[in-house]
Amino acid sequence: MKLGRLIGKAVLAFAGFMAVFPLLWTALNSLKNNVDIITRVPRVVFTPTLANISYIIGRDSVMTGLYNSVIACGVAVLIGVVLGLPAAYAVARYPNRWAGDIQFFVLSLRFLPPVAVAIPLMVIWLQLGLYDTLAALIVTYSLLTISVIMWLAIPAFQAVPKEVEEAAFVDGYGAYSVFWRIALPVAARSLIGAVAFSFVLVWNEFLIALMLSSSNAKTLPIVASELSQQGMNVPWGILNASVVLLSLPPLLFLGVLSGFLNSVFRQKKT
Amino acid sequence: MPRRSSLPVTFVVPTLVVLLILSMVPTLYAIVIALQNRELSSTAYSYVWFSNFVDLFFDRRFLNAVWVSVKWEVVTVVATMAVAIGLGVLMFEVASPRLRNIYCLLFIIPVLLPRVSAAFVWKFAYHPLYGIATYPYRLLTGGLIFDPLSKPATALFAVASVDVWQWGLFFAVIVLKLLETLPPQPIEAARLDHARRWQIHAYVTLPMLKAPLISLMFVKMIESLRSFDLIYVMTRGGPGVATETLDMYAFSQGFIESGKVSYASAMAVLMMIATVITFTMLWKRVQA
Repeated sequence: MKLGRLIGKAVLAFAGFMAVFPLLWTALNSLKNNVDIITRVPRVVFTPTLANISYIIGRDSVMTGLYNSVIACGVAVLIGVVLGLPAAYAVARYPNRWAGDIQFFVLSLRFLPPVAVAIPLMVIWLQLGLYDTLAALIVTYSLLTISVIMWLAIPAFQAVPKEVEEAAFVDGYGAYSVFWRIALPVAARSLIGAVAFSFVLVWNEFLIALMLSSSNAKTLPIVASELSQQGMNVPWGILNASVVLLSLPPLLFLGVLSGFLNSVFRQKKT
Repeated sequence: MPRRSSLPVTFVVPTLVVLLILSMVPTLYAIVIALQNRELSSTAYSYVWFSNFVDLFFDRRFLNAVWVSVKWEVVTVVATMAVAIGLGVLMFEVASPRLRNIYCLLFIIPVLLPRVSAAFVWKFAYHPLYGIATYPYRLLTGGLIFDPLSKPATALFAVASVDVWQWGLFFAVIVLKLLETLPPQPIEAARLDHARRWQIHAYVTLPMLKAPLISLMFVKMIESLRSFDLIYVMTRGGPGVATETLDMYAFSQGFIESGKVSYASAMAVLMMIATVITFTMLWKRVQA
């Protein structure tokens, strides 16, 4: 029994190590000169250099990619919030006979293979003269953000105690001010989690961005993947630095998202 | 709730209209394109109706891509669920509350990474000469070379391992949270009956969690359809066509090799029909 627990703990510790070590190693490599990366025996002791990071930050393509990513994802998430949250509230609080169908429709958007959406959209944006623009990317991403925010916000609004809202109605609040002043603030914690999740989803998106951009509207994931297409010609340290840059924004949401997970499951318990 | 309010209409209708337009226009247009013979290199096209679809059934690379996609789906879903349940139960059994919190944070990190980042991290790690993941093998064999990404037999599994690294660890956290929501009485009762730990989980806790675990598997099946980023960065469908899934093949037909947009769209339409039908049926069964 004791031995079993010990093995269990060892397996867990190994899994925890595996979860972060590859990423830490990449971060370490981004601080190395090429000679310290291309070694048969991995080097832990080396003279660190900031050359890779400053190269990445100094490159126009990377900065443009960063800018495009921030704008495209930021605006798409904003649209998702504006259109998704009210709709989710209405579905959660004013259920009618279509509520189930609406929820299923929103979920089913996730079944659509990205290629199936990206190919026709590419043709459409080309014909409209909007191919390779941020506007095209934002509109396309809005489909993702609206549906994901709506899907996650419906249970969040349902978890708000009905009594609170009913008390507000008794106090003479109208339907809209109950949404603004009661439901939104009370559900805020879960809603922020849902919004953060949608941001991470579009920030990480690759295929649609790849197909809808050729030069001007490239997002950071596309720029990073292009660096690697040059193979070994690009010093590995630079590639590692670009991976680190690309990974940082989603990781900023680690706290918010794990809090979101906790609140989702605490609701289920009660 | 007030009976008469304009709120549901003003809140739901605009959003649904936007979603319907954004989803139906590309979907229907994908079908239209699939019935034509558009190519990237020219603007002229005509309707060829179903000939793209007929061609697909005689295209051995397409049939290979279907098979690779099915393999990918099965391997990643099964491995993810196995890792998630294994680690989730382990955390529940041997980790103190404080350690659980730490593990939960660590296990969420991989899934937050962009797939492109995850793919790069592991592409470096799997490098036969300089990779950190192949280092133990080089050390133990005295410098033999193991290149998992360029062998047809191992490439799919090497890429799948990255997917499982991201999703399996994340789902382990959810399995743990699910276990924590269970009432303690049935577990106590089983313990009094001298059931072993693994028996308690195999016969008591996991059956109690059957419904949420099936939903979890459903989510993973949907997410596994999005394999493109990993494969594009790590192997580009190679070696040969060993890791060429449907979306990878559609992409290379449409944009890399021949620019046959209509042909690629026909493939995408078939994928779309297959996934929508399968997942709608599964969803109705899960809900029932």
